[in-house]
Amino acid sequence: MLLAALQGVSELFPISSLGHTVLLPWLLRWPVDRSDPTFLAFVVALHFGTALALLVFYRREWLRIAAGLARSLVRGRIDDADARLGWLLVAGTVPLALAGVFLESPVRRLFGSPALVSAFLIVNALVMFAGERLKNAAALRAEKALALLSFREGASIGASQALALFPGISRSGASIVAGLLAGMTHDDAARFSFLLATPAIFAASVLEFPRLLAPAARGVLLESALGAILAGLTAYASVAFLTRYFHSNDLRPFGYYCLIFGAVCFTLAVMKVIA
Amino acid sequence: MRSLAVVVALGCFALAVLYWLGTLQFGTSHPGPHHLHAIVFGVIGILALVWLRFQSGASRA
Repeated sequence: MLLAALQGVSELFPISSLGHTVLLPWLLRWPVDRSDPTFLAFVVALHFGTALALLVFYRREWLRIAAGLARSLVRGRIDDADARLGWLLVAGTVPLALAGVFLESPVRRLFGSPALVSAFLIVNALVMFAGERLKNAAALRAEKALALLSFREGASIGASQALALFPGISRSGASIVAGLLAGMTHDDAARFSFLLATPAIFAASVLEFPRLLAPAARGVLLESALGAILAGLTAYASVAFLTRYFHSNDLRPFGYYCLIFGAVCFTLAVMKVIA
Repeated sequence: MRSLAVVVALGCFALAVLYWLGTLQFGTSHPGPHHLHAIVFGVIGILALVWLRFQSGASRA
């Protein structure tokens, strides 16, 4: 259940859920076998809960986007903000889908090294610091509203999420930084990042759904259901907090956290305390 | 741009079929059919057709 709560929080906070679900079991010496069918089924349930929470939180926005997409398909042109946002999200999801199918397996081999995962967590911090610095350097540039984002910029922000295939790099952190560099405010960059996360996490959990129906997973169905509910509740609370937080704050506190946690884990890994 | 959209759509559908049948193994971790790769290319092919539809809508307007 702790893993479920951790997944719900860390999936949306820019601190890498994958990095934490790899490092914390090592740190706390939990006997987690990441290739065990029951564990994989549990993880699918947690992702499903998280995606559902995002869908519920942005339900009005998604209804408007769906209507906008349908309108644009019927008319054969994109002539309103909701349709444009919808197609921006599609443009942002395609590069991630391609990266997911082609890069996930080779990258998965990196999961076995706590030192490497810790190093990526430090890189995640440096990416956020660099993003904030570049954003401040360009502070005089007029801030671009989400509706004015080009499709190329939308696709670039979506592609930046692929960095999160590396355990330790945060999906939301990378996409918020990419949004900031495209000229968006923290507010809009975070909103676009969370909207982009919904189809990505949903698609991942739907495609992996058969794992929940596997005979080996039947023994953990109750735990998976409870885990999904807990992950969903913590994800909902996280997105509610973060949307308020980014009204007037930036990524640096998360950067400091990732830098310190990554450095501690890296030291422990090099000293062979965790392996 | 319309012809490019048609080429992209046909190319993606061809890749989707090849991955589905297991004929194409590029970027895969094990031999055999790769339905996930096929689904992704099938969806991108459909999106290319949507792009074609928008090109037609824009040229009419």
